[in-house]
This record gives sequence, C-alpha cells and structure tokens, in this order.
Amino acid sequence: MGFVKGTASYVRFAVEGELPDNIWDFIADRITSFAFRDIDETYEEDSLGWVSVTNMFDTDFKYASYAAGNFVTLAMRFDERKVSASIVKKFVQKEEERIKKEKQIPKISRSMRVEIKERIQNELIRKALPMPSVFDLCWNLENSTLLFFSTNQKAQSMLEDLFKESFGLTLVQQIPYICAEHLLGEDEVDRLARITPDVFV
Amino acid sequence: MDLVDLIAEKRFLGQEFLTWLWWKSEERGGVVALPGEGDVVVVFEKHMLLEYGEGDSNESLVCRGLQTELQEARTGLVMGKKLEQARIKLAFNDYEWNFTMAAALMEFRNVKLPKTGGESGNENDPEEREGMVLERIYLFEELIRMVLGLFRIFLHLRVSPEWRDELLKVREWVNRAERA
Repeated sequence: MGFVKGTASYVRFAVEGELPDNIWDFIADRITSFAFRDIDETYEEDSLGWVSVTNMFDTDFKYASYAAGNFVTLAMRFDERKVSASIVKKFVQKEEERIKKEKQIPKISRSMRVEIKERIQNELIRKALPMPSVFDLCWNLENSTLLFFSTNQKAQSMLEDLFKESFGLTLVQQIPYICAEHLLGEDEVDRLARITPDVFV
Repeated sequence: MDLVDLIAEKRFLGQEFLTWLWWKSEERGGVVALPGEGDVVVVFEKHMLLEYGEGDSNESLVCRGLQTELQEARTGLVMGKKLEQARIKLAFNDYEWNFTMAAALMEFRNVKLPKTGGESGNENDPEEREGMVLERIYLFEELIRMVLGLFRIFLHLRVSPEWRDELLKVREWVNRAERA
C-alpha cells in the first residue's frame, strides 16, 4: 500500500518492449483479460490478476479509472489458500492413527504415508479461506518506467511474470548498476564495468 | 551477466554511493549542490544499517539515534563496514521528503511525501481523485529524480581519475571518527 495514501515503499523498474499504436485500447483489452478472478466460492488454490488501486473488489474499474494522465495505475491482487505446516502435520498424524486402529496394523507403509499426506493437504487447502494480498503499481507510459509499491521479492517476481503475460513487456529492476548504465556516457560505462569495491578507511 | 549475478557482484556500488553521500552532505553542513538544480538539503538521521562481509559471513550493525549520536555508525565505517540503509531527510524547492534508502537494490522505503495543499480534496470526485493521484506520482518521481541526480555526481567521480582525491577526503572523514 502507500501509493494512494500514507507512507510508501517502492522500487523502480524499466519497461522494455514495444507497445502498439492504439496504446489505450490495447491496455484496456489486456487489463480485462488479466483482471483478478475471485476464488472465494471455488476450491482453486490461488488466483492472480489486476484490480483497481482504490478498491480490491473493483475488477472492471467502474468506480475509478486506471488511467491518470500518462500513467496507468493498477493493483496486483493475489489470493492464496494456505495451511500451516503444523496443522497439516497434526491432521496427517490423526489420520494415520485412525487407519492403524481401523486396519489393526502396527505401522503404516511409506507409500501409504505419502498418499495420506497428499490427501489431507488437499482437503485442508480446500477448506482454507483465500488470503488476499494487494500491491500497487504506477506505470509511466511517457518514459517507460514503473514504480512498484512493495519491496517484497516474491511479489516483485510475480509482478514481472503477470506483466509479461498481460502486456508482452519485460520489467527490469533498476538496481544501482543498471541505473548507472543509463546515467553515464559510453566511455564511462566501460570504466564502470571495470571498477572493484574500494576501502573507505 | 544476469540480474541475480549483477545484484550480487555490484552490490557495493549502491553502498559506496550511500556512504559517499553521507560524507558529501556533512562536508557542507547538510547541503549538496546539484548541477542545474541548486542546493539540495540532505541530512542523514535517526536510523542506519551497516553491513560487513557476504553470504554466511555477513554481519550487520543497526544504529539508531539522533544525528549527533551516529558516532557508532561512523565507528562501523572505521571497522570496514559499508552503509546499506539510512534514513534521510531531503529538501528541495519547498518540498521535504523523509525516506529510508536501501542501497544495494536502491529501494525507497517508508517514504513520507512533502505536505501539500491538495490533501483535503473530495476523494469521491473522479477529477479531484485523479488530481491527487497525479500529485503523489509527481512527488514520488521527483524524489527519484533528485536521488538519481546525486547518484550521477557520484558516478562521474567514481569512474574518473579524480576519484582517488575524493576517496582520500572520505577516508580522512571516516578516520576522524576514530580519533573523535
């Protein structure tokens, strides 16, 4: 959060690739195709897609447009059903005990143990409620840069994949060395490639 | 080189920049001249994180306190640690930002934007909402522009023969901390 209100944390990406001439039609079409789909009433394990930055339930941007001047403002929403390892362990052990009693066997085979774990895990995930996470972004169409309002690396990697899938464009994180290549002249970039860490004492 | 290797191998570049910026800001009492823009106030305050070593042998040191109490962080530099994160106040053109810079990846964390008059608008009005969003975007990008301007000064020096002299001055400043 933080893009629309309050304090914010963000990183910068360069957007690489060509957009078609009818930019806004293309973007509208791609956002609709990759809009977030709710999984509350299904058994799907997770869902990833675009929502409005002002309302995570607004997937068709009825209440606020994603366009602001030459910027596209979007939020990436990821809902995931998760079960903690200790809960899985507890229910697997419980099931193993039940089977041992029912079949009157002292030990459960390795293959049966794997089968039980898989079955219990699936059952628990279906019962779990999807946990939502929302991450805002602001795409500057004029200079092909993008601010992503999270420093979480897993979220950044999901963004790179979803952005590529949605718009066919590649995001390149602007770490200091890559920024430097854009800020320096050709000769200086060659010299930059050769520098090694200096000692400041 | 792919991004993962670049991040690991060139991690020092952002950290050297942040350390240099600390020295640069103290050289003129919290002001750095940005060519074509004028003076920018850059003050390091309250919170710093220093790093030493890589991978498993990585050590970090967190220093908190007011500006005058950052002596411990200076001592960290004497021990060969590098500045990885710092809370900075940056002021330019009547605007003042407070933010934490994470140097290795150039992340802007907990950015507090300058106060402007546009915050009391009606959020339900689409035009006013768009105006507010555009203003925030401008302020986020302006901070980046300033930081990249400062980074450019550092880079020009870092790849030039003048870096030797600059480095001597930074070393003298670091070593003064030891004697203080």
